[in-house]
Amino acid sequence: MAASVAPVLSTPAEHIFEDPTPITVPSSEARLSDEQLYLQYEIKRTVSEIRAGKWKRVALQFPDDMLVDAPRVFERLREGLGRGRAHAPGLSEPEVSDVADGVKDVKLDANRREDTAASQSADDTEERLCILADTSYGACCVDEVAAEHVDAEVVVHYGRSCLSPTARLPVIYVYTSKPLDLEAAVASFEQTYPDKSERVCLMADIPYSHHVPALAQRLREEGYTNLFATEVVGDPSSLLPNRTLPQAVQQDPAALKEYSIFHISSPPTSLLLILSSRVKSVHIFPTDTAQPTALEATTAQLLRRRYALITRLSTVPIFGILINTLSVSNYLAALTHCQHLIKRAGKKSYVFVVGKVNAAKVANFSEIGGWVVIGCWESSLIESKEFYRPIITPFELEVALVGDEERVWGGEWVGDFSALLGRDGNVVGGGTGAGREVVEGCGEEELVNGDGAGEGDWGEQDSDDEPPDFDLRTGKYVSHSRPMGRTRPSPAAPTLTADSSDVSTAPPATSSALVQRAAKSDLATVNGAVSPAAEYLRSQRTWQGLGSDLQRIAYERDDEGRIRGAAVEEGRSGVARGYAVGEGDNGARK
Amino acid sequence: MVQFTVEELRELMDNPINIRNMSVIAHVDHGKSTLTDSLVQKAGIISAKNAGSARFTDTRPDEQERGVTIKSTAISLYGSLVDPEDLKDIPVKTTKNDFLVNLIDSPGHVDFSSEVTAALRVTDGALVVVDTVEGVCVQTETVLRQALGERIKPVVIINKVDRALLELQVSKEDLYQNFSRVIESVNVVIATYFDKTLGDVQVQPDKGTIAFGSGLHGWAFTVRQFATRYSKKFGVDKTKMMERLWGDNFFNAKTKKWTKIGTHEGQTLERAFNQFCLDPIFRIFDSVMNFKKEEIPKLLEKLEIKLTAEERDLEGKQLLKVVMRKFLPAADALMEMMILHLPSPAVAQKYRMETLYEGPPDDESAIGIRDCDPKGPLMLYVSKMVPTSDKGRFYAFGRVFSGTARSGLKVRIQGPNFLPGKKEDMFIKSIQRTILMMGRYTEPIEDVPAGNILGLVGVDQFLLKSGTLTTSETAHNMKVMKFSVSPVVQRSVEVKNANDLPKLVEGLKRLSKSDPCVLTYIAPTGEHVVAGAGELHLEICLKDLEEDHAGVPLRISDPVVQYRESVNGTSSMTALSKSPNKHNRLYMIAQPLEEGVAKDIEQGRIGPRDDFKARARVLADDHGWDVTDARKIWCFGPDTNGANLLVDQTKAVQYLNEIKDSVVSGFQWATKEGPIAEEPMRSVRWNIMDVTLHTDAIHRGGGQIIPTARRVLYASTLLADPGLLEPVFLVEIQVPEQAMGGIYGVLTRRRGHVFEEMQRPGTPLFNIKAYLPVNESFGFNADLRSNTGGQAFPQLVFDHWQILPGGSPADKTTMPGAIVETMRKRKGLKPEVPGYENYYDKL
Repeated sequence: MAASVAPVLSTPAEHIFEDPTPITVPSSEARLSDEQLYLQYEIKRTVSEIRAGKWKRVALQFPDDMLVDAPRVFERLREGLGRGRAHAPGLSEPEVSDVADGVKDVKLDANRREDTAASQSADDTEERLCILADTSYGACCVDEVAAEHVDAEVVVHYGRSCLSPTARLPVIYVYTSKPLDLEAAVASFEQTYPDKSERVCLMADIPYSHHVPALAQRLREEGYTNLFATEVVGDPSSLLPNRTLPQAVQQDPAALKEYSIFHISSPPTSLLLILSSRVKSVHIFPTDTAQPTALEATTAQLLRRRYALITRLSTVPIFGILINTLSVSNYLAALTHCQHLIKRAGKKSYVFVVGKVNAAKVANFSEIGGWVVIGCWESSLIESKEFYRPIITPFELEVALVGDEERVWGGEWVGDFSALLGRDGNVVGGGTGAGREVVEGCGEEELVNGDGAGEGDWGEQDSDDEPPDFDLRTGKYVSHSRPMGRTRPSPAAPTLTADSSDVSTAPPATSSALVQRAAKSDLATVNGAVSPAAEYLRSQRTWQGLGSDLQRIAYERDDEGRIRGAAVEEGRSGVARGYAVGEGDNGARK
Repeated sequence: MVQFTVEELRELMDNPINIRNMSVIAHVDHGKSTLTDSLVQKAGIISAKNAGSARFTDTRPDEQERGVTIKSTAISLYGSLVDPEDLKDIPVKTTKNDFLVNLIDSPGHVDFSSEVTAALRVTDGALVVVDTVEGVCVQTETVLRQALGERIKPVVIINKVDRALLELQVSKEDLYQNFSRVIESVNVVIATYFDKTLGDVQVQPDKGTIAFGSGLHGWAFTVRQFATRYSKKFGVDKTKMMERLWGDNFFNAKTKKWTKIGTHEGQTLERAFNQFCLDPIFRIFDSVMNFKKEEIPKLLEKLEIKLTAEERDLEGKQLLKVVMRKFLPAADALMEMMILHLPSPAVAQKYRMETLYEGPPDDESAIGIRDCDPKGPLMLYVSKMVPTSDKGRFYAFGRVFSGTARSGLKVRIQGPNFLPGKKEDMFIKSIQRTILMMGRYTEPIEDVPAGNILGLVGVDQFLLKSGTLTTSETAHNMKVMKFSVSPVVQRSVEVKNANDLPKLVEGLKRLSKSDPCVLTYIAPTGEHVVAGAGELHLEICLKDLEEDHAGVPLRISDPVVQYRESVNGTSSMTALSKSPNKHNRLYMIAQPLEEGVAKDIEQGRIGPRDDFKARARVLADDHGWDVTDARKIWCFGPDTNGANLLVDQTKAVQYLNEIKDSVVSGFQWATKEGPIAEEPMRSVRWNIMDVTLHTDAIHRGGGQIIPTARRVLYASTLLADPGLLEPVFLVEIQVPEQAMGGIYGVLTRRRGHVFEEMQRPGTPLFNIKAYLPVNESFGFNADLRSNTGGQAFPQLVFDHWQILPGGSPADKTTMPGAIVETMRKRKGLKPEVPGYENYYDKL
């Protein structure tokens, strides 16, 4: 398409405001009646818990699809709290106050109304409520940072939740229960398990969990004897994440293998992965179809795909660690754990905080070979073809870095990293030798020496390089030599171990060139050490960034040899879709 | 009884003029290993009794069982000429009558022809074995072509002459005619692949470059041998005699004169070859096989053959073997032919250097190779890895082209992806030990000078399949071998017990190392895939994997075929995609790449490493490209060397160079996983028509451009009538006329079609050539055998890719559509092929 007119370099304004993230469908049902709202959002319980906790600043966190109801919930809560003060003679009488000007709740300006503050008592402080929307990471997690911005003492979390333990604030969970066709569920259950003595755990997605006891009751009446109705608990690293365990299983975790799971509503993929290796079978009773029948869930394919990803990443030299949560407790410990793992395997890692992860954000760092996401156990499983490089979880990272000689993939999957942290001691202490001792480079050789007595002397002689890795994905060799990472004595010893951050502190004696080329072998070096990163920049990149041509620019100099600078001009201003150049009020560029 | 010692051999190694490196190549079942045995017998490693049945070079139990060679095997032999006078006939003068012959026996089955390639690389001469009865077959032609491509000089032995005599009972003249037909067809092949530098290498009996014999019975002769015998008798010069003993030369017994006319006074004269060479053999056969006991001693006396007392008691075939072996020992004939007519490394490396070495012809390594200089920089090419009895370790098998390899020498190990001056794919390591490879045994040796074949210990961890070892820091790679087969048949394997996974992974590594052609990888679906050249190859590989390399029980899937995605036409409109921030737009169209270009890329004639101007020239001259377009090829893909091209056709686009890396990344990504079924793409050319970019670098970074490039590539592909490519085998079948009907039936049922049918002159045999989709080839052999009463033996070798016929792959009702749907389901994708709208953005 030969452009006859100079191409327009900007796009119309409406494109800018198109949200690139998929739009979540707002609940399609007609708006809830006040009665329904009162029940679904458990106003009464919330009020009493807030009262009992004597919290004065409360943040209400809504997922995107529930935001429509947020103002009404807010109103009802405020009324409820106000009534509570009035009906509690023993207590001081606080007055409902207004929402604080939270950072995120701009949309609610219209709903902020000053209440009539008629009978305000002086000695009582009023509860301050505010609404948090547009969470930074996932709607299932409690956004502690946003809550701290509004100085909240407690967060009320609405909607389905991953129940990951929080680090700083207490949380009141409101699961916003949804209705369930109990008869259909019972019928489907009977169809799935004809044997009345079958061991079955009843599980439900969080919004349906309150139906479990009723369903269990019904089923027991039908004659099922070995039912176990789970209850929700906040323990993501339990064998059944966030659920209570049957008595037998508490004593012997292996007993879980004899149980089937009947799950109401589709669980998140990560939960499915976790469960599938731990129980006999998982049947899902869908709630979004008209004629629901329970289907057996198969995860073998998904697990295999994850396995392919893991093996693909095991030879990657540079990892990016994505922080996808700031509230789940232990996330810092998990970060150090991951960094440690990567370093021990002789690879490099960088830490990134990008908020909600999308393809464009992570593709900006094309040198990163693979990503590890540290997030809550439910949202860490990011599977999409759109990402330039795969994203794995800390558990998968551990598997990936374990080395081909020991990697075993039995189909188990762990989503919660706190479980990993607990295991870590065992893994390393148990001497599975996950870490290759890179510096000495002798791990493998010893192995060989041990059983290599038969044919002849296979004992290794001095080698300047470590043997390359075999990339299972491509069937080729991948070198994992790290010239910069080696502690080998060398004339440039003091700066040899420096990584790229030390580049700028090159000794003044050398020229200002970022990358120097050794004359002989024509390899890029940094401070005298051969640097693969500098070499990559030099040879693999056709474009090396602004300023890479600085040395070639000859400056105009005045008579005394000083650089004669150009006159300062006014640059561009405005937003990305169209800048104004020069005169500030010229308007957007065409 | 070993007739030579390592010390003797080591001494010979220093004299490159007296070395012959040669491989034995032929069609399957033409008798290579059997012939090799008779040579080994001469060198004395196995007893004479077992020669012809022991198959010394078939070192694996399954090779012995199946009677088919799977791996090429090397042995070093010591040889000398019977008559020291013959030394004068060697083109390059030498005074010592001690020769070192390094011989490699190679497999004949087409599935293992990668082994042949690996063997040819390290040798300078080839002994081509041709069956008298079957003549020149497919594989004979293939290996000859490979040999000539590597500038390897051939000599021929026409084998199984005993079959012609005993089974077919042909007359002398018929046999002569048969011989000359075979020789002619060999020479036709040689002429087709004529190489100027190598010169005229046509084989002629009167030059002594052809032998006739029987490997099974252990006898062979050359015209030269008979010429030597008769030259004394007739008092004629030996060379003249040789000329007379072949072709239309007759000896008139009455006039005692040589003539070129086959008749004398109305009587037919007997051809000199028949009279002097074949007659004694026919007489022996006749008297021994017809139990004419009284004639035998007379005949033996005449031919100066002495038998021991035990041997005299033998009868029939046993006696025949003994007599013939004493009369015309195969080893003598072959040894003579090889020593006289095959080049020594010193000679061969002069003209082979430029085809062997990637670097400039005047650097120190090139000169070292050219001069076969044991004092030059070490240049050693490892052509294959040989498993050792120590599990998981390998000998690196190769040849020293320059310098001297010795234990403890620190060398640079350069893999196929090494580029001079870069650290990539290069390792420094000491050679632990050097060894000699002798069939089933190895012998340690201190050092090995240039021109010799050797085994290395201790470098196996750094080499995958092949590579260059050198001591020179400036050395380029030796040229990577090109195989005539590709791994197109694949099966996936999984362990039965999850705890065995590390063993499987380790086994796959070893398998990948031990075979030059096999490919092992993990598919994105998480399956471990093993890909081989054909069903037999794959079967052997998987057996090795299960029993040897991994040693754990495996579940093996049915064979599957890997498809490629391509396009049939040009995009119906220019595809447009916008970056996530909507500030950048890429415009592209897709069009099919000319088949010739795709083939040239796959065979390395056009590659990303070429100088862009030279490449543009080739594309313009050979493939009719526009030179400006050809100069603006941005990259090849997938894996930066695949057969897809990205061409920049934009005009004056600002900042374009800044996004090139990102677009190329997106291109590599997209070509690896196409839009239809996430199979690799092939033979597509994309033109970047236009690009609009945001003025700010931050808004056109990789994050914006990489996914966009992928989207626009997908959109333009889906707009260009996408199709699936399936691999197609070339099938060659040799079959008697009466069984031909069955072949047609089987081929038609399997979507194959015959494109050539030719009768072999003088035989009732037909040669049929056909194309058969790989997908339909599973079980083809068995099917064919049952339909032809076991008379047809097909050879299948990958030939080309073809568009899967039957309609659009996006339409589920068509055959391609059904295949795509199953593939997508297997990969866990949505069953529907996405429409172009998913990737296309409206302006």
